[in-house]
Amino acid sequence: MAFISIRSLTKSYTKGKTSVTPLENLSLDVPQGEFLALMGPSGSGKTTLLNLIAGIDTPSSGQLEINGRNIADLSQRQLTQWRATHVGYIFQLYHLVPVLSAYENIELPLLLGKLTKAERRMKIQAALDLVDLSDRAHHRPAELSGGQEQRVAIARAIVHHPELLVADEPTGDLDRDSADSILTLLQQLATEHGKTIVMVTHDPKAAQAAHRTLHLEKGQLINNPRQ
Amino acid sequence: MLPFTYALRNLFRDLSRLAQTVGGSALVVLLLIASVALNQGMDSVLSASGSAKNVILVGKGSEESIERSEVHLDAESSVITSIRGLEEQLGTPAVSGEITYQAPIRTASGKEDQALLRGVLEKALLVHRSVRLLEGHFPAPGEVMVGKLAHRNLGVDASELALGQRIYFENEALNVSGIFTAPGTVLESEIWFDRNDLASLTQRDTLSAITLRMDNAEFDDVHVFTLQRNDLELAAIREDVYYSKLGAFYQPIKVMIWVTAALVSAGAIFGGLNTLYAAFASRIREMATLQSIGYTRGALLVSLIQESLLATLTGTLLAFLIAYFLLDGRTVPFSVGTFTLILTPQVILTGLAAGILLGTIGTLPPAIRCLSPSLPKALRSS
Repeated sequence: MAFISIRSLTKSYTKGKTSVTPLENLSLDVPQGEFLALMGPSGSGKTTLLNLIAGIDTPSSGQLEINGRNIADLSQRQLTQWRATHVGYIFQLYHLVPVLSAYENIELPLLLGKLTKAERRMKIQAALDLVDLSDRAHHRPAELSGGQEQRVAIARAIVHHPELLVADEPTGDLDRDSADSILTLLQQLATEHGKTIVMVTHDPKAAQAAHRTLHLEKGQLINNPRQ
Repeated sequence: MLPFTYALRNLFRDLSRLAQTVGGSALVVLLLIASVALNQGMDSVLSASGSAKNVILVGKGSEESIERSEVHLDAESSVITSIRGLEEQLGTPAVSGEITYQAPIRTASGKEDQALLRGVLEKALLVHRSVRLLEGHFPAPGEVMVGKLAHRNLGVDASELALGQRIYFENEALNVSGIFTAPGTVLESEIWFDRNDLASLTQRDTLSAITLRMDNAEFDDVHVFTLQRNDLELAAIREDVYYSKLGAFYQPIKVMIWVTAALVSAGAIFGGLNTLYAAFASRIREMATLQSIGYTRGALLVSLIQESLLATLTGTLLAFLIAYFLLDGRTVPFSVGTFTLILTPQVILTGLAAGILLGTIGTLPPAIRCLSPSLPKALRSS
């Protein structure tokens, strides 16, 4: 059974007097542990699809099952709880909280659970070790480079051990070296830690790091080849 | 819930915004507590000035103002002989015929201002029970006794009305023979003359009013007396009722105090709201990120309120400190006396409630605006 199972998924909304359908009748399966890249021109529906998979947005129709649970039926509150447990989101511009240190940013998802301080410290240390930033734990985002910020964002996304990672242009704001190191890290998370990763990118080199690349255009998948 | 440190550190993101929020809330709270203290001070001095056991007899038609009233000198003895059940001390009935007058007084430094003058005999102390002589003696002819706060009404230093000093009225020099206190009453701002002195200096042969203190007599007994002795043309009014009517006379001033405070506060509140709108609007994406992590809108709202409360309560504390050093214990003169501004528990609670409301209800509109965009849209905002 696919980890992500999408059937006849449509998302439409009205903008002013116009009806917009960024995704129409889309079907897709993603097995557990796959690193999937979504490519396509601006407005093709990649980010909309990513947001739907992450439970950030809700579909207009269709079925969207993640690990056997149809999240299309969840209320906003249930979706928020589901995200807190099952999803890690990595943003292009990192979206770290500027007033909190790297350690405190990584701690944010853990504060939603019932872990003790010592348990939290252990998990944060493990995440920091994984992204190789233990020596920057008490630095604030403004004191880190872009690549380091994105590593903190990845540590924050994985610290609570979600099965699913979604990444929206995670290397879009980084230089080539930093981008390569982030992509290697994502590959490692999929291969060694069994995370299912869906990544939106414009960068063909970033897409090459993924196990499979899908192309979207006008809300439709235009091919679905296994790479 | 988000950690409290998040709210605390957000306060210091923009120091100028923090200063505006703290300053704005301090201004609102300070104005509010000043208004409450002013109104409370005025109310309490007027209510403390009147006793339910005292009745004032004034000339018919002058119930609103003792200063305009004229009562025949003979009325005083008629009251003593006709009304039973008045308080007595060593055989002297508690009945005091007095002349009340408002006129300019000049002090030794040459400063001249309106003062409240009362011509009395020593038996005035039998009806005005709050009066206590602090130093000196009751005024004999050519002397005056001054209330502890009389200098505030005259706008001079207390030393100018100290024992042995001279004041001038109608070109007559009078020695200060005594200083008295009458805590919390308008009497404390008055200058007491020997009654005959004041009568001759003001060239009047009538009293302004007669104040009497009832023991087992009742107000109706005094009222009946005024009806029976129609020839004296007297009206009776309970002293506490008289001062409460005087309080109603000051109602428009109180309303003006509130209106002024409300207008300035409204400006400060709108300024503060504007600051909060700007502060929160720049964090829409951050709020969305926290929601994407799994924090509910409710948890984020609580954090924003915590942050605002920290700022407004700091402002409230600042307002209390300013009020403590600049307002508490300060005396304020008004036309019939002087009252003291006091930071009573009620004043403090009002200020605290205002600070809490500013930080909670005042935060809701900008916070809701910050949290209301859909998550995908908010994540895209810059």
